[in-house]
Amino acid sequence: MFNGIWSILVGLLIEDGQLAIGALLALAITWALATAGGASAQQVVGWVLLVMVLVLVVANLYRAGLTARARVSSAQR
Amino acid sequence: MDPVALAIHATPAFVASAVEFVEATTIVLAVGVTRGWRAPLIGTLAATATLAVIIATLGVAIVTIVPELLLKGVVGSLLLLFGLRWLRKAVLRFAGIVAIHDEELIYLREVAELRAQGLQRRKFDWIGFLVAYKAVLLEGTEVAFIVIAFGAAGGTALTAATAGAIAAGLFVIVLGAALRQPLTMVPENWLKFGVGAMLCSFGVFWFAEALGMTWPGDALSIPLIVATFLAASWLAVRMLKAILPQGARVDARNV
Repeated sequence: MFNGIWSILVGLLIEDGQLAIGALLALAITWALATAGGASAQQVVGWVLLVMVLVLVVANLYRAGLTARARVSSAQR
Repeated sequence: MDPVALAIHATPAFVASAVEFVEATTIVLAVGVTRGWRAPLIGTLAATATLAVIIATLGVAIVTIVPELLLKGVVGSLLLLFGLRWLRKAVLRFAGIVAIHDEELIYLREVAELRAQGLQRRKFDWIGFLVAYKAVLLEGTEVAFIVIAFGAAGGTALTAATAGAIAAGLFVIVLGAALRQPLTMVPENWLKFGVGAMLCSFGVFWFAEALGMTWPGDALSIPLIVATFLAASWLAVRMLKAILPQGARVDARNV
């Protein structure tokens, strides 16, 4: 069981580390916006978080694609 | 309970739990077919009992004691982190960068390992017991997390999430028992793709609610958020297929 929990933690924080760090940053920005922006900002924070997370996912996958392409190219050489 | 609320809260828990139950059932089946059914079934029951104790103590305490907004904030963050991981992996699998999860291969590998360990007749099969216990407890812990996460709003949401998970468990167990084969027909990557999008959507929804936002239409905005995640992920699959050379396959971690 502990091995399983450990592998989930490693997967979450190391394997996909950049994505996890980016998500935590997006959550922190959203929280700061809601806290500092007042009632009007509170009503849009969800959409802001959604856009940030979508950009983060697509950017992370784009980078993963570039890394994979580089690996394929070097393997074919 | 309002049928819309029931569908919204029970369906994600059903689908997400089904994925975990398929993994546990595959391993229990492998043990049962290879070493006999007594030990793995006792192991499964023991793990179920352990899980019931964990959920009854920790889960209920968390949902009833922790303030609702704080719970939604914390659970929303965790759902987003877990959901992003599932979604990313599912997209990479669809794009051919990571190998598709193969339940039959896992089953055959488990069977080969168990056969290699041998079996002594007349003695209680502790290996079979422990393998089944570990698998059910580990996957069951994830189901418990899913139920607590989807039922974080408490009351009816928790009831619906629990009902969804129990229904998924019964569905997968009955299917596994009837077939006595790994459930290869379950499109696991599609499920992970959908569940990843749902976990992310619930994460965004609850985190924003915890910060004081009122979503337009309340829970009815969740399908819209899910659709947005699915659309972005589908675009990401297309983008990755365009980036990679035709027919290329990269079975690699840490991409």
